[in-house]
Amino acid sequence: MRKLSLILLLALASLVGLTLWVRQTYWGDHRRRMSGQTDLAKVGCLNCHLVSTASLRWSQPRPHHDTPAGLAVSPDGAMLYIALDDRDEIAVADTASRQVLRRWKITGRPWGLALDNLGKRLFVTCREGDRLAVLDTGDGHELASVPTGRGPVAVAFCRTLNGERLVVANSLSDDISVLADSPWRELGRPAAGREPFAVAGSPDGSRAFVANRMVELASVKTSPASELTEIDTLSGRAVRREALASAHLSESVCAVPSRSWMLTPVVKIRNQVPITQAANGWVMSGGLAITDVNTGEMLQMPLDEANDYFADPAGLVVDPAGGRAFIASGGSDVITVVDLERMAAWLAKASPAERREAIYDLALAPEYVVARLPTGRNPRQLALSPEGSTLFVAERLEDDILLLDANQLTVRGRIRLGDGGSDDPIRRGERVFTSSAYTFQHQFSCRSCHPDGHMDGLSYDFDGDGIGDNLLDNRSLLGVAGTEPFKWNGKNPSLDVQCGPRFAKVLMRTEPFPPGPLQDLTTFIKSLPPARSARRGDGKLTTAQARGKAIFFATRTASGKEIPHERRCSTCHRPPLYSVRLPFDVGTQGTSDTTKAFDTPHLLGVGGTAPYLHDGRAQSLEEIWTLYNPDDRHGVTSDMNKIQLNDLVEFLKTL
Amino acid sequence: MLGLQLAGGPRVRSAETAGPDLPFPLIERFETYGAAEGLPGHKIQCVTRASDGRLWVGTYEGAAVRENGRFHLISTNAGLSHRMVMCLVEDPRRGDLWLGTMRGLNRYSAGRITTYTQTDSGLPNNVIYGLAIMNDSLWVATAAGLGMLELKTGSWKIYDHNNTVMHEPWVYAVKSAGDRLFVGVWGGGILEFEPANGIFKEHRDPDRDMHFDLTPDDGPVSDVTSWIAWDAGILWQSTYFGLSRYDGSRWRTWQEKKSPLPSNFVNFVWARGPVAWVGTDRGLAVTDGSIWANYRTTDQGTGMLEIAAPGRPVENRRMTTALPNNFIHGIWVDDHEAWLATADGLAHAFLAAPRTAGKAGDAKTNPATPSFGRN
Repeated sequence: MRKLSLILLLALASLVGLTLWVRQTYWGDHRRRMSGQTDLAKVGCLNCHLVSTASLRWSQPRPHHDTPAGLAVSPDGAMLYIALDDRDEIAVADTASRQVLRRWKITGRPWGLALDNLGKRLFVTCREGDRLAVLDTGDGHELASVPTGRGPVAVAFCRTLNGERLVVANSLSDDISVLADSPWRELGRPAAGREPFAVAGSPDGSRAFVANRMVELASVKTSPASELTEIDTLSGRAVRREALASAHLSESVCAVPSRSWMLTPVVKIRNQVPITQAANGWVMSGGLAITDVNTGEMLQMPLDEANDYFADPAGLVVDPAGGRAFIASGGSDVITVVDLERMAAWLAKASPAERREAIYDLALAPEYVVARLPTGRNPRQLALSPEGSTLFVAERLEDDILLLDANQLTVRGRIRLGDGGSDDPIRRGERVFTSSAYTFQHQFSCRSCHPDGHMDGLSYDFDGDGIGDNLLDNRSLLGVAGTEPFKWNGKNPSLDVQCGPRFAKVLMRTEPFPPGPLQDLTTFIKSLPPARSARRGDGKLTTAQARGKAIFFATRTASGKEIPHERRCSTCHRPPLYSVRLPFDVGTQGTSDTTKAFDTPHLLGVGGTAPYLHDGRAQSLEEIWTLYNPDDRHGVTSDMNKIQLNDLVEFLKTL
Repeated sequence: MLGLQLAGGPRVRSAETAGPDLPFPLIERFETYGAAEGLPGHKIQCVTRASDGRLWVGTYEGAAVRENGRFHLISTNAGLSHRMVMCLVEDPRRGDLWLGTMRGLNRYSAGRITTYTQTDSGLPNNVIYGLAIMNDSLWVATAAGLGMLELKTGSWKIYDHNNTVMHEPWVYAVKSAGDRLFVGVWGGGILEFEPANGIFKEHRDPDRDMHFDLTPDDGPVSDVTSWIAWDAGILWQSTYFGLSRYDGSRWRTWQEKKSPLPSNFVNFVWARGPVAWVGTDRGLAVTDGSIWANYRTTDQGTGMLEIAAPGRPVENRRMTTALPNNFIHGIWVDDHEAWLATADGLAHAFLAAPRTAGKAGDAKTNPATPSFGRN
């Protein structure tokens, strides 16, 4: 018995010793070798193993809501057509009874709507179907389906001397589809700015104007600008592309009938000042861009006031007489009413310098803002009845349409589409995400920098020192679930911390989110799926993409030399998230950076998140390796030829 | 080779002498544009007229666009990636003008320039010699291969000596020809490429001799391709050692000692129907392969037209106006006019209607006959 006990004791000791030895030698070596990290304090099994997207919030079923997107009013004002993008439906409502009469199924996430002159045909952009559907308003059946560019979100119907035209803003392919009739086909595909998002025809139909939401890619040290694109509807060509200086996030555009004006709501951005200057109102404000289509003159007028902001200007309509403009503030739940006569009068007496500097004068708005009308949560798209008496407001996160008397500026009632979804934490979180109620003087919401959860393509200085000059790329929140830690330095272990008290102190300059709304907010963010990739509809890779995949997972260079483990793409960007969620030094430390190692971003949807690297210095995927990887620390790429690099880029765009 | 009767040498034509029927219009006169007229430089590399009527000019000092009789400069200050503009092509579907430079590709769209370089995009190389549009794709001839940009997706493909039969990656020209492309490779002849099925066919000089066309009409006159042109099913190849024509089954070749071709140094060729407009270092030649009209400026600065036709003596005519320079870099032609990019200015050539049989050369009865000064 004693002998057996001794043997067992020796065996146990051996097992413990073996375990300790493995832990001290193999285990440490394994982690060091496989992760490429020298400091193993942050390296655990779960960085590489048992990672699955199936368990992430965004890949699980979620409730769908009757969320209104685009609106269109019939020529007689009797019917309101409402795109319900989350349901894949079009709702048809009687404006007098304020009842939904019918719902038509339509695939591809319907978003933008337009009607022909007689109201016989409804044109629907299907944002995820990459098509435009033509519906018969009599019975809702689909008369035609026309392929467009990627991510069509808005459409305008125009009549020209040579027939009918549809002008479609393709938000993901950064171009415009101009469709001609009989049968509907693509006449032209002119280039637009970045993320064309809204389109409006001129009163005579000869021109269409497209507002682009994101700023153009440029050096982070330059002042950003978005674009207003002018289309000749007859030829289908772009004829003018004007820069909206220091302005972005335009989600609407509208002609003023009595003037040669096109109006565009904008966010005036000053991203290069320290973010601490939010307290002084220096970071962003809402405005109205005025483009004189005859002279080309562009002006920007403020919509905010010195101590009260109306964040996220979105929908915009102008009454038929051109006397008033109505602008929805999606972040502040307000419709701002602008008297265009008073605005024109101020402009007429202002000096050129005063006109040029007007956007910076937040004492100016009372000169022409005649009302601020409260709405339900997140008013976005607007429509006016043909005679201009009724304003329809899509209260996106209430699942209803608010009807306002556009003359008396009073509430007429609501068209109920759904229950508002208050039982759904994702819906509640989106309400927090889109609300400016949590920021100092309601200056902005989360959405102001992350439109639809994505990114705005800008870099900001988040250092609390207030000095500036340390810009960091604003990362997309799409597909961010499971990729903690957060921030470029990887110091925030969770979204709760990321969006917590310190964030409130540095950026929001208010009290932090209360616990309940904070939980809802992070639930919403975790529910955001990755951005759409360039992968083909059948999911298969093209030949070039397949070659790029082989390069991504290569363990040897083209010449047969083994690539060190820590310099392989797939070591740091390991599937399925394409990130092991550890910081790495890839040789990109800048003069203002206090660290060499930066968080490894996930690569899901990476093709649509330019610019790249922690400070946004790389304007394209190519530049990461052609300009900013001189020592092969960000993967071994110096031996690649251009064909191989192109293949790698093509593969990355499929993730 | 052409059976031309050049016996007796060239002679100056009298006004009474009937000329040959011409399969192409003659140039009536030239107008010259240079820095004084608003062009950014005197050395003109390329010229094209867009479908909206605007004339685009690429120079060594930037591009210029002519609208309402005035040139407007498009320089690096306006966003052009490099001042030396080598080639131009219009995208007819979008109305965009693409400009190839010595450092990068530029898209001019409604006044806005977007640049593409080898470091920020899939462009194979920054040195761009030629451009072509085929449906929704842009083809770029560069010093390191042929690039293809899919305009709807932004994806790039590269074709070079690594993945095709291309002899070397130095691509000088690319031309869209219906369902296929012809690609001029500096020392590798011409590639015929069918994108739909990925088939490359190589056209090389069978004798492989760069300088001499040892066996005429057996293939391209030389592997050294400086430019190519295609229209109406006929391909023309300009080389620094002569001119070639390919009709889809047979090759014809011309060199200066055996034909009216004014110089073996052929820099550029423009195809219009069965006629080639040929830019050399010794002036402009217009030919259907049989009849030639050669324009040059004499040492005294006088414009001279030489007409050579089979069975006729060569005819010389003095013109009242002249090319600004005999070194022709680029050509654009329609039924009424030609624009010629030369080493010292841009020439606008006004065309007369082609002469018809029985009226040829009769200045009194055919008002369309060029009003040349004659010896």
